[in-house]
Amino acid sequence: MSNLAFATPLRSPAEEQGTRHIEIVSSREQRRARPRAAYAIVAVAGLFVLFIAQLLLSIVVSDGAYRIAALQTSQRDLGREQQALSEQLDMLSSPQNLATQAESLGMVLSTTNPVFLRLADGAILGTAAAADAGETVITGSAASLVPNSLLAGVPLVTATPTVDPATAADAAATGTGATGAPTATLTEGSVASTPTTLPSPVTR
Amino acid sequence: MNDARKTKRRTALAVVVIFAVVSIFVVRLVDIQVVSATEYNKESLEKRSVSQTTYGSRGNIVDTNGNVLADSVDRFDITASPLLVNTFERKSDDGTSNVEVPVADAITELATATGASAADITTALTEKPGSNFAYVAKSVTLEQLTAVRALNIPWVYDVLHPSRTYPMGSVAGNLVGFIGTDEPQNGLERTENTCVESANGTSTYERGADGIRIPGSTVTTQEASDGGTLKLTIDSDFQWYAQQTLAQRSIELGADWGTIVVVRVSDGHLMAVADYPSVDPNNVDGVSVNDLGSRAFSSPFEPGSTMKAITIASLLDAGKITPTTTVTVPGRRDLGNGQSIKDSWAHGDIRYTATGILTNSSNIGTSYLADSLGPDARRDYMTKFGFNSSTAVEFQGESSGLVRPTSEWDAVTNYAVQFGQGMTATSAQMASAYQTLGNGGVHMPLTLVEGCTMPDGTVTDLPSTEGTRVVSEAAADTTVGMMENVVNQGALKKDLTIPGYNVAAKTGTAEVANANGYGSDRIISIAGLVPAEAPEYAIVVTFAKPDTLKTSGAVASTFKKITTQVIKTFKIAPSTVPETKYPLNY
Repeated sequence: MSNLAFATPLRSPAEEQGTRHIEIVSSREQRRARPRAAYAIVAVAGLFVLFIAQLLLSIVVSDGAYRIAALQTSQRDLGREQQALSEQLDMLSSPQNLATQAESLGMVLSTTNPVFLRLADGAILGTAAAADAGETVITGSAASLVPNSLLAGVPLVTATPTVDPATAADAAATGTGATGAPTATLTEGSVASTPTTLPSPVTR
Repeated sequence: MNDARKTKRRTALAVVVIFAVVSIFVVRLVDIQVVSATEYNKESLEKRSVSQTTYGSRGNIVDTNGNVLADSVDRFDITASPLLVNTFERKSDDGTSNVEVPVADAITELATATGASAADITTALTEKPGSNFAYVAKSVTLEQLTAVRALNIPWVYDVLHPSRTYPMGSVAGNLVGFIGTDEPQNGLERTENTCVESANGTSTYERGADGIRIPGSTVTTQEASDGGTLKLTIDSDFQWYAQQTLAQRSIELGADWGTIVVVRVSDGHLMAVADYPSVDPNNVDGVSVNDLGSRAFSSPFEPGSTMKAITIASLLDAGKITPTTTVTVPGRRDLGNGQSIKDSWAHGDIRYTATGILTNSSNIGTSYLADSLGPDARRDYMTKFGFNSSTAVEFQGESSGLVRPTSEWDAVTNYAVQFGQGMTATSAQMASAYQTLGNGGVHMPLTLVEGCTMPDGTVTDLPSTEGTRVVSEAAADTTVGMMENVVNQGALKKDLTIPGYNVAAKTGTAEVANANGYGSDRIISIAGLVPAEAPEYAIVVTFAKPDTLKTSGAVASTFKKITTQVIKTFKIAPSTVPETKYPLNY
């Protein structure tokens, strides 16, 4: 564009000799002072860029709103699930349940001779005596006398699980055990498959 | 001329009409934009915005090891719109075709999912057919909610209903208490409500046509705040053992009620406060209304001979007796006016030392020892030991017991208070008094709450650690040494001895007053300290009105079990010093 300013005086002499034509030639300063299209185009293009950017941004933002909504829902659901599981854990780790389960496995609580084994030097503190098989806390009194209505449906660890095959298949299919218990495949994976050795847990 | 006038008139008319129309618009504009602006704004916002309650979580109550005793959980109310109840279609199980589900089937499915009865659901849905709201089931678990949602019933909804659960059931249920539908109703849930209480918040947001929140439109009008965590001094495993053992023995003895209180002597922290019967906060209706609290705090009774250790400590501190002070104890002490003091067994003159009087629990001997100190001084000692005023726990409904002013003491009461009749105390007060004996004579404030940790980490409700000296260290230690003789020389030697450990104890068999004076009912107890040479824990076991055995001997097996469990739970090393033995007779 700027080359045009210098082009005029360099016209071929043949043309000059034709029709004599006088016109006001604007000085370089005047031409320079004229509003230039470039600026206008830059300004308008800039505006368009802004509008488009704004549009894209709001598309992204509202798209984000859907993602936020979805993530918040899943966060809430996961939080609830975590809470339900820790609630169940607290209930299962209640002393009544632990004592009942332990006694069902044949463990007893020695109520006569307190004896300690000091790990530092292996010393035995107190008079060691074998616990009597009759020293039960729960079974001796026929039942837990410290009621916990939450434990009503909790089976003994020694009880044979009576699982309805239909429910089990259903739970396995959907991948969500009714109480968040690990699915069948997971259980198999966490225990060594060789039956003769001690099962070793899979550490994560 | 005419034309010009016409034109002028027309112009004027047009101008007037234009003005009129414009002014109507202006008035309307001002009305909309200025006069009723707030109203319209509100109306429009209501159409776009949704107000929601954000729930703060009520703080947990935990034991000294952080095990949860009371927990806040999410429960859900399943609601429905009876107006919309109708047959609906949903995808069949294989997802290929639509099946029609009649209302009756939907109700049966709901009943299975929520555990509510189908009849109740039917009633709820048909009671007010024009209504837009009805409860199908209240407070269902997440598991049940998931089952309900899987049913895809279009007219069934759910709302969050924060709730409370007590994972350990009645372990410390007597202390923790419970909350009703609207507010905390009992125990620490009520008295420590300011710690665990949460506040619900509200916020509004605007949503688009598809129900999605418009970004940046959330306005929180009030922040929800979570409650603090209340930490108790109780050890839940030990508390459970105490409750189980107490309940077992109470049933065997046919006792109306029983308590076990275990206190750490160094700071007065309660390790266990067991009550029988006691409430399972998950099932409040399971027990009588009288069994909802803690009798260890609320039920004062005449403690009987366990008070003799307090009398001995007072007299030792005053320098009036020594463990070997001699008294010739007759079979009966006549006080005039037909009043007299007797022992629980018939005997002639016995030459007892003070230790002998304590070991054999002679009322007459105690009365002679008490003669060495004036009634006011003796009563002062009792109040300093914590009798006649409630403990620092200030438990809900706590009783302060009663030691009448000396001006109201008659000749018998003057002595009877020294062996625990004619005055009353709670199990907690008795445990607190024995804590003083075990702690070298310094009475520490009895403590049940270890502290309250707010969500921002600040800890409040810290217990006071300021002790008060009641008797000299020598007097307290000597009393504990004399109480050792109850275990190593007394009648219950066989039942109370724990191999390898020195245990100090005092028995009590108190008569219970009824409308006609003292009847055949007894309150039996044993209070003691372990290990005797440097006491760490004070233990008080009490059974009220047993049917089968009515002497303190019936308490011995339970006291021994609890003491053994204290040794095991709190890891007390076997005693390395020989037991203290004083002569009982001279």
